[in-house]
Amino acid sequence: MSSALGIKKVGVVNTKAGNLFSLFACLRRIGFEPITVNTTQDLELNELCALVIPGQGRFGQVMKQLKATKLDQAIQMWSQQGKPLLGICVGLQVMFEQSDEDPGVEGLALFEGKVTRLQSPKQPMVGWCQLDSQEARFKNQIVYFVNSYGVKSSPVAVATVTYGEEFVAAINQGNLWAFQFHPEKSGPIGEEMIKQCLR
Amino acid sequence: MSTLNQQVGLIPRVIVCLDVANGRVVKGVNFKGLADMGDPVELALRYQEQGADEIVFLDIKATLENRANALETVTRVAQNLSIPFTVGGGLNNYDDVAQFLNAGADKVALNSAAVKNPSLINQIADGFGSQCVVVAIDVNKDEVDDYAVYVNGGHVKTETNAFDWFAEVEQRGAGEILLTAMHRDGTGIGFDNELMARVAKERNIQVIASGGASNAEHFVDTYQAGSDAALAAGMFHRGEYCVDDVKQALKKQNILTR
Repeated sequence: MSSALGIKKVGVVNTKAGNLFSLFACLRRIGFEPITVNTTQDLELNELCALVIPGQGRFGQVMKQLKATKLDQAIQMWSQQGKPLLGICVGLQVMFEQSDEDPGVEGLALFEGKVTRLQSPKQPMVGWCQLDSQEARFKNQIVYFVNSYGVKSSPVAVATVTYGEEFVAAINQGNLWAFQFHPEKSGPIGEEMIKQCLR
Repeated sequence: MSTLNQQVGLIPRVIVCLDVANGRVVKGVNFKGLADMGDPVELALRYQEQGADEIVFLDIKATLENRANALETVTRVAQNLSIPFTVGGGLNNYDDVAQFLNAGADKVALNSAAVKNPSLINQIADGFGSQCVVVAIDVNKDEVDDYAVYVNGGHVKTETNAFDWFAEVEQRGAGEILLTAMHRDGTGIGFDNELMARVAKERNIQVIASGGASNAEHFVDTYQAGSDAALAAGMFHRGEYCVDDVKQALKKQNILTR
């Protein structure tokens, strides 16, 4: 699944909730061609090797956009087919069932559980924090977080972080990946993590 | 030995500031007199490689005529940076902020515009989220030992009470305060840690210390006083210290660094 030039295309879901500049620039730096996915046709017509749900905006706003474009069902289908999918920040959160940020709005429910408001000492949490993990690729790595909401715990968590309280930092189940932090803003370590998820 | 920052889990940030005028990085002394320090893109990348945790780009001679040029420079920096990137200077309204965020900034720093029109903070926080709103506040300690808020690049004293203003920007949705002690800027005697400690303790948002640093120990001192992050320009631009020197000084005090 690569273009004529051999550069793999990665779809970035347009959630219309913020700018995608940093993510696009990061994907280009690590050798992918980012493609904006506005519609289900964009998913079907492009030979995408992976899909990213970016980390801008709030839960309700992102889900509203995904439902309006029917990309919610397309993403669920994509994940059922076992294709690589990466959610970042709110992109992680919408992969769960619901969120206290917008009660009553259904998430993609790729993972069981609920997003809650974090008891951060300073709100919003903005900054670098060290990961706790059994996996070498995450263990003690320092990455950049920007959030007020998160998931307290999950059976599919592969890394956690503590700021006031412990919460989920990274998730992996098959080809499904999700990071509460922003790998595209986490220096060379973050770029390496994205590469590994999307390859 | 542990610091407040370690207990709450966030790692103190070392931020390098690029004061940009007419497309070049410059450095002033006490907000007066400018010397050329180099190309913004080159310098931003150099500091990222040295281990900077964030880059702040302040267009200190922002004019409408120069806007297109500033946006283009911001984009060139942003394309190459894999760390957070904050842009300020000449942001007067919502559309200005949107332009710079679309050009690649992760956060914007509002200064004079926020003092003149405080509801701008609410508008940006509502539109783009608190995490991208940094309110830059320039304070000067005057004869009666009180802190006054200055605007227009430190040229105009306002009637605003500094401590009321810190509280108000938080309440209006700012994500961080970039606090410059003008009376320390360019002096090299260190950050105003008495001020930083008080604001960091009283406010529930992060405080970036600015103004007065000339060596690595000054960073250690301000983090130990409670600052969440600290920013310097000249000591890095002049090549006296690289960012890693600061990180090494922090490590010696068992302060976790990236």
